[in-house]
Amino acid sequence: MALSTKGPLLIVEDDGLIRMDLADTLQDAGYPVLEAANADEAWGILLETDVAALITDIDMPGSMDGLELARRVSDRWPDCRIIVISGRYNPDPAKLPADATFLTKPVGETELFKALEAHGLAA
Amino acid sequence: MNIQFPPSGCATIFEGFDWATSPLGLQSSWPPELKTLTSVMLGSLQPMLIVWGPEQTTLYNDGYAAMCGNRHPAAFGGSFQSLWHDIWDQVEPIISAAYSGQGTSMDDIEFTMHRNGYPEETHFAFSYTPVRDPWGSVLGMFCACTETTSEVRARRVQDDLKERFMQVFELSQGGIAMLAGKDHVFEYANEEYYAMIGVGREIIGKTVADAVPEVIRQGFIGILDGVFATGDPFVAKNLPVKLNRGPEGEEQNRLIDLVYQPTRSAEGCITGILVQARDVTALRAEEKHRELLAYELGHRLKNQLAMVQAIASQTLRYAPDMQTARKNLSDRVAVLSRSHDAIIEGGTGHSRVGDLVAQMTAIHDSPDHPRILVAGPNMTIGSRPALSLSLILHELATNAVKYGALSAPDGRVMLTWRVGGPYRDRFKLEWKETGGPPVAKPEKEGTGSRLIRAGLNGTADCQLSIDYEADGMRFSISADLAGFQKEH
Repeated sequence: MALSTKGPLLIVEDDGLIRMDLADTLQDAGYPVLEAANADEAWGILLETDVAALITDIDMPGSMDGLELARRVSDRWPDCRIIVISGRYNPDPAKLPADATFLTKPVGETELFKALEAHGLAA
Repeated sequence: MNIQFPPSGCATIFEGFDWATSPLGLQSSWPPELKTLTSVMLGSLQPMLIVWGPEQTTLYNDGYAAMCGNRHPAAFGGSFQSLWHDIWDQVEPIISAAYSGQGTSMDDIEFTMHRNGYPEETHFAFSYTPVRDPWGSVLGMFCACTETTSEVRARRVQDDLKERFMQVFELSQGGIAMLAGKDHVFEYANEEYYAMIGVGREIIGKTVADAVPEVIRQGFIGILDGVFATGDPFVAKNLPVKLNRGPEGEEQNRLIDLVYQPTRSAEGCITGILVQARDVTALRAEEKHRELLAYELGHRLKNQLAMVQAIASQTLRYAPDMQTARKNLSDRVAVLSRSHDAIIEGGTGHSRVGDLVAQMTAIHDSPDHPRILVAGPNMTIGSRPALSLSLILHELATNAVKYGALSAPDGRVMLTWRVGGPYRDRFKLEWKETGGPPVAKPEKEGTGSRLIRAGLNGTADCQLSIDYEADGMRFSISADLAGFQKEH
């Protein structure tokens, strides 16, 4: 499957089951996927790999949460697309990077793929 | 001289009275003042009384007789003291004053009268007037009475109404105060108002600025001035205010709903301000708490739906056929539901490892012939790891029954857990199967082992291992105790 991405998608989610299923879903659709269980682990991956998009949860253990991770990624890698997924209700838009997408958990597949397409990452 | 009076009780008694035996003597010897006054009195419908001479001989008309009750007719022509002997200490100073030349008027004297056939409360205004001869000596006293019963009743109705309004104010759930004048002087405040500004503060008769000085710098006097000047009411909700209402008069932050309304005289001039205030601090705090609770519940529900979504998706993705998928999914959702019961029963948002293990053995083991041997402390576990642990135990047991130790008649499972690690900060659990068929790592990973591999939700560092040992499968978990027991 031809991808218009410049690298894999990075899934950051502390719930192993949800992360596993999200990865399966995206891989089935043809996206290369990397996984991290928290923001700190994700940062380590980001430093070594060019990631096309960050798909992150908000509430996670560790030194930073998903919002903080999204802000830092947006600052350092402005080209990296950002999708934030949380069971929390819509966060303050001011806390999200300008072009980030917020999706509420649980996310439907259609919704997820639509968001990726909107970021120019059609499978 | 014979004066003809309309036939009535007192006039008849007067006509037939044996004046010769009275200190007044025969009518012919009476001074003109007395003659004139008796004539006026007996002819008047208004209650009237004459007290005459040093003996204070008492004459009265029918109107006055009604006030005397059963003392009439015996009292007619007798002494004033014998008529009012029972209240003489009150009457004597007034009659003596009249005899010494000083008139007195009394606005409201109450009598119970039977003039309408039943006892009736009546009210009269009296004036005692000294009667003098042409040389100025006091001869006696003349009294005319005016009945004021209807006025008194009207006033009482008004007073009752006022009293009832006051009661309404007192019973009001909100604080009410009445301010008078442009300086906003407290005229009235109900209990609730005192409770709001601080019980025991003295405010009546003082200006707001003097009585509650802490509101000056908060701008409330300015608002009151505005309402008094313009007549426009002031209405505000959830207004923050600092009041020196603490037990030691210390400042406290409150939220109040506040209304200032101008009060007007009959002519329409603004005379003061009615203050209605309600302390809504506790109410708003409770609302906020409820909101937070609802938000938290919503958040949990969404996370659990996400978990169910993932389990359903995983189950369907790797199922060999639809029937297996349906059964497995149904069992897995049931496990989550039971695990949730244990969390609810735990009461404080967490459950216990022993309870979750018992839920699993109740389904997969037989109490008469137990083959899953369990040992471990009934320690607490947070709600997120509890859901994961229930699911992992279910998958382990299902696998053991199908392919592992529990598929053979003599197979056993030893399930143990404890707090471990050099710093006693790890939760460690081990599932060891023995006595089953020979084991080998399956070629293709099934959903069950994938769900197990997902680990304990909510823990920061969860390590899992599955070893296919010669005598049976061994599974172990080691997770940080902090995350394991934290309430999410």
